[in-house]
Amino acid sequence: VTRIGVVVFPGSNCDLDTLRGLELAGAEAVPLWHEQGSVDGCAAVVLPGGFAYGDYLRAGVIARFSPVMRAISAFAADGGLVLGICNGFQVIAEAGLVPGALLRNRGLRFLGRDVRIVAERLDTPFTSLVGERRPLQMPIAHGEGCYFADDETLDELERDGQVLFRYVHADGNPAAADGDPANPNGSLRAIAGVLNARGNVAGLMPHPERAADRLLGSDDGLPILRSLVEAAARAEREPALAAIR
Amino acid sequence: VSAVRVGRRVELTVEAEGEAAAREVVERLARELFSNPLIEAFAIELLDGVAVP
Repeated sequence: VTRIGVVVFPGSNCDLDTLRGLELAGAEAVPLWHEQGSVDGCAAVVLPGGFAYGDYLRAGVIARFSPVMRAISAFAADGGLVLGICNGFQVIAEAGLVPGALLRNRGLRFLGRDVRIVAERLDTPFTSLVGERRPLQMPIAHGEGCYFADDETLDELERDGQVLFRYVHADGNPAAADGDPANPNGSLRAIAGVLNARGNVAGLMPHPERAADRLLGSDDGLPILRSLVEAAARAEREPALAAIR
Repeated sequence: VSAVRVGRRVELTVEAEGEAAAREVVERLARELFSNPLIEAFAIELLDGVAVP
């Protein structure tokens, strides 16, 4: 069984849901304490939601300096698979593992509600089992989720296929950048998730682990977690191939 | 009121070999910790330099 680590910072609060979601997706999911300086032989690492180190100063910035993040940066530099969800996305953005930054929501309020996103790419370690470009329903729960990068960077992300998820309406039509309830935090170009240039690190604001079981109202998040588990299993079997990715 | 700007002010006490060395320390902290250069700007001001024997 493929081992996937879920980082636990002081203030993480989606770690148990993420461990459970990964188990449902077929992995052996293990917690990685923030003070440990290795990823413990895991084939992939997920940074869960929450308020790492209380989000003091700026969401995600203090977590960036933790021992486990140094290990994760080295792991990512070797081609290791890393997924940041919500606060985990903020942490990897602050650490420079993915481009851009997450600003206060456009309306300045914390938002906890369901949104719909589409995978713009279906050929990545995070989306290969999503299957089609259809709206996926899952919750957001954040105060700082407005994706920002300068225009030049946004153009590059679009050109290079690094926009992984976008907010959409229920019918699949794209959300507008501003004043559209389908993109409630006002993310530029309605970006909900991005990839790094190499394609082995991804972050998204919505919570696939909170939509991993029909009991939770949606299991649209499960294919994302299953994609990661499958890609991690492949990386374990063919480490050389994974490194090339 | 036509505009409002809210910022953060951080006062640090730094012991260093002279002003240039102190600025180097503070600049690094400002760049890596206190601000995110993608979205924020910062300025450094020396309030008081005291020679320590």
